[in-house]
Amino acid sequence: MPARSFLHELNPLTKVAWSLAVITVAFAFQQPLPLLGLWASVLVVALAGGILKTILPAIRGLIIFAGIFILFQIFLIGEGNTVFTLIPGLGFGRVTDVGLTACTMLALRMLAMTSTIPVILATTPPKEMIVAFVEKLRVPYVYALMLVTSLRFIPTLQEELHLIVQAQRARAYDLESRNIFRRLAGIVPLALPLLLVSVQRARTMAISMETRGFGAGPRTSLRTSTFSALDAGVIAACLLCTLALVLIALR
Amino acid sequence: MMEPIIKIENFTFYYPDSQAAALAGINLAIRPGEFVGLTGPTGAGKTTLTLALNGIIPNFQGGRLAGRVTVAGRDTATTPCARLAGIIGSVFQDPEAQLVAETVEDELAFGLENLAVPREEMRARITMALEMVAITGLRHRPLSQLSGGQKQKVAIAAAAALQPRILVLDEPTSELDPRSSLEIVNLLQRFNRDYGMTIILIEQKVSLLAPLVPRMVCLHQGRIVADAAPRQVLNQDQLVAELGLEIPPVTTLFRLLRRAGAYHGDLPLEVDQGCRELERLLGPAGTGAFPCRRQ
Amino acid sequence: MIRAEAVAFTYPNGFRALQGFSFEIKAGEFVALIGANGAGKTTLLKLLGGLLKPTAGRLMVGGLDTSRVRVAELARRVGFLFQNPDHQLFLPTVREELAFGPRNLGLKGRALAERAAGAAAAVGLTPYLEANPRQLSKGQRQRVALASILAMEPPVLVLDEPTTGQDYREALEIMTIIQQLHRQGHTVLCVSHDMEMVACFAERALVLGGGKLLLDGPLAAVFAREDILAATGLLPPQAIQLARAYQAAGLLPPVTTIEELYAAIIGVLRGKKDARQVLPA
Repeated sequence: MPARSFLHELNPLTKVAWSLAVITVAFAFQQPLPLLGLWASVLVVALAGGILKTILPAIRGLIIFAGIFILFQIFLIGEGNTVFTLIPGLGFGRVTDVGLTACTMLALRMLAMTSTIPVILATTPPKEMIVAFVEKLRVPYVYALMLVTSLRFIPTLQEELHLIVQAQRARAYDLESRNIFRRLAGIVPLALPLLLVSVQRARTMAISMETRGFGAGPRTSLRTSTFSALDAGVIAACLLCTLALVLIALR
Repeated sequence: MMEPIIKIENFTFYYPDSQAAALAGINLAIRPGEFVGLTGPTGAGKTTLTLALNGIIPNFQGGRLAGRVTVAGRDTATTPCARLAGIIGSVFQDPEAQLVAETVEDELAFGLENLAVPREEMRARITMALEMVAITGLRHRPLSQLSGGQKQKVAIAAAAALQPRILVLDEPTSELDPRSSLEIVNLLQRFNRDYGMTIILIEQKVSLLAPLVPRMVCLHQGRIVADAAPRQVLNQDQLVAELGLEIPPVTTLFRLLRRAGAYHGDLPLEVDQGCRELERLLGPAGTGAFPCRRQ
Repeated sequence: MIRAEAVAFTYPNGFRALQGFSFEIKAGEFVALIGANGAGKTTLLKLLGGLLKPTAGRLMVGGLDTSRVRVAELARRVGFLFQNPDHQLFLPTVREELAFGPRNLGLKGRALAERAAGAAAAVGLTPYLEANPRQLSKGQRQRVALASILAMEPPVLVLDEPTTGQDYREALEIMTIIQQLHRQGHTVLCVSHDMEMVACFAERALVLGGGKLLLDGPLAAVFAREDILAATGLLPPQAIQLARAYQAAGLLPPVTTIEELYAAIIGVLRGKKDARQVLPA
C-alpha cells in the first residue's frame, strides 16, 4: 500500500486548482528569483506529501528538458552586453546578459509549471481522477477512461519494450552503435514488435471490456468524488496566495 | 429434460478476407448447470466459438455468418454485447491484457458500474465475488503487484461479480504454472457444483480436462468431431491420433495395455483410478497400503 | 560448458531473484530447469544470455565470464529462445528473420544465406522461407524464433518454456527438434512446467524455488524427492506416481516414462502368466 498523506486525501480537482494557481503565478513574474522560489514551493509541497523521492526521476527529466531549451534559445538573443562568446574569432555563439536572464526565467517558469504534474499523478489513483472529471467537471466517461487507460498502459508497454530489447540483443543485435543513422534505423527491430504486441493487447482489452457491459448505457460508480473542509481550505489558500502574488508581481 | 441455456444451430462463420470457414455447421446444445470441456488443436475454432457465445461475434468482430446462436433465449446477433454481459461471463487467456483497472476492487467494479448497479449493492457483490474466488485479502491491492495466477482469479471474480448464469473461459491456465492451473480448475469445479453455474472451459491440456468435465466437445477444422464423455472420446484411437490430443499419461498406459490384450476394463483418466486398476492387474504392492499416495 | 559459482542476482527494486548458488553443466547435457513462476528460472536464463549480470558470484559459459563479454559476443555461444516469439519477429519474410542474427555477427553474402537456409532446414521450415512470419501459427512462429537463434550456431541453447501456448502436436514437434539438436551435440537448458515433457526429453533437472537451487540431479533422483517437488507445486510424472508403490516393494524396476512403465508391467505379467495369454502373437 502506498503511503498516505494530506496530498492523497485531497480531491483531485483541488490539486488541479493548485496546479492552475502555480501556473498563474508563474506567468505573473518576469524575474528568475521569484520563479525559483515558486519552483521550490512546488518541491516543498512534494516533500511534505512524502513523494519527493518518487517523483525525482520525473523532475530530473524536466530539468534536462529545461537545459536543452536554454541551449537552443540562448544564442538567438542578440541584445544586451556580451558575457562570453563560444568561438571568439568568428563572433559565433555570443551569449548576452539579457539572453541569459531571459532564458533562465523561461526555463524556471517552465519547471515550476510542469513540476506540479508529477505531484498530482503520484498522489492520485487514476480511478479517482476519472470520477472527479466525470462527476464534477461533466467530462464524458469514455474520454476520461481513455485518458486513464493510456496512462495505465505506459508501465505495461515499458515492460514489453524491455523484453523486446532483451530478445533482440539475444540475437546479437547491438544497440550501442555509435553511428547515429544506424541507431535511428536500429529502432525498427524494437518498434515493430512493440507495435504488434500492443495492438494485440489493445484488442484483448477491448473484447474484455465489451464482455463486461462497457457501453451498456447510463452507468453508476463505486466511488464518489467529495470535497472536504481540507479541500475548501486549500482552494481558498491557493486563491488568496495567487491574488496576493499577482498583485505584488504587477506592482 | 431442461431447456438448453445455450443453443447453437447450423452456425457457420468466416473471418473477413478469409476463404476458409472458421466454424462450419456447428450444432451444440448446452443445458443449465453443465460443465463442458472444449478442446481441439490450434486453429480448430475454439476461440471463435467462445467469441460467438459472448456476442463479440458478430457485434464486435465482423465477418460472414450463417445460422444462429441463442444464449438464455437471446439471439446473440441481435442482442448487444453489453446486454449479454450479465448472462454470460468471459475469461481470456492473457491474464494481463484483459484487466482494465488499477486495483482489484476497481476491476470488479468496472462491469457492475457499466450495468448501473447501485453503489450499495455493488459493494456487496464485490465482497461476494471475492469470497467465491477466495481472494478477499487482495481487495485493495494494485493489479500490477499480483502474480499471473492471482490476476486470472481477479478476472474470474470480475466475471462472477456480474452474477452470470454461464461462464466461458478461453484457455485460462495456458500461461500459469501447474499449481496455479490446478487452483483455477478447482475453483471452476466449485462454481459448477456449489452455484450451479454453467461452465464452458476451453483447454488444450486434455489431461487436465478429462478427469474434470462430464462432457467433452472436440473441434477440428471448424467442425465438432466428438461430443461425449471424456472416456468415450479417449476410447476413439483414430480420433485421438488425428487431432493430436494430449491425453493423460495414465490413459495412454492402459490404452497400450489394452492393445496388448493385457487389459479389458474402462480407461482410467486419473492417477488414482490407474492405481486401482494396476492393483487389480498386478496384485497389491505388498505393503498392504493403497499403492498411490493421495495428493 | 556452464559453470555457476555462487551466482546471485538482485533486481534494482531490491527483489532477490537468485540467492546465490552453484552448479555445473557439461557440454552435451540436456537439463530441465523447473520450478513455480517467480522461482527465478527466467532470471537465470537471462544471466546465461548476458542480458543481466550477476550481482554476486560468477557465471561462466564456454570459458567466458558472462559479466565481461558483450551480449552480441555471447550470442555466438548461447542461443536464447524467449517465451513469446512475437517479441522478436518483425521482418517480412522468414528468410530475412533467420538472417537477422548472423548479419548482426557480421556475416554477409553466401555465408549468410547458408546460415539462414541451414537453420530453416533444422526446424523443418524450408517450405516457409518466403512466408511472412506473422501469418504462421504460434507453433511455427516459435520455430522461426528458434531457427533465428540456431542461425548464429551457438553450442549452448537456453529455452524459456518453448511450448507455451501451443497445442500438443506443435509442442511435441518443437521438443523433438530440440532433442535432435541435443543429439547433434548442443548443450540444452530448457525451462518447462510440463513434467511429462521433462520426463521424455531431459536427462537431468535443476529445481528452483524462491531463488534457491532446491534440487540438482538425474531425473529419477529429482522426481524421487516428492516432498520438495510438492513444495514448488509440482507433481512427478504420472508413470512415477503409478509405479511408486511397486518400485518400493521391488516389484517393478525404476521408470520415468509411460513407455518404460508399460514395458515393465508387460515384463511382470509375462513372468506371472504364459506370455501367449498376455500378448497376442
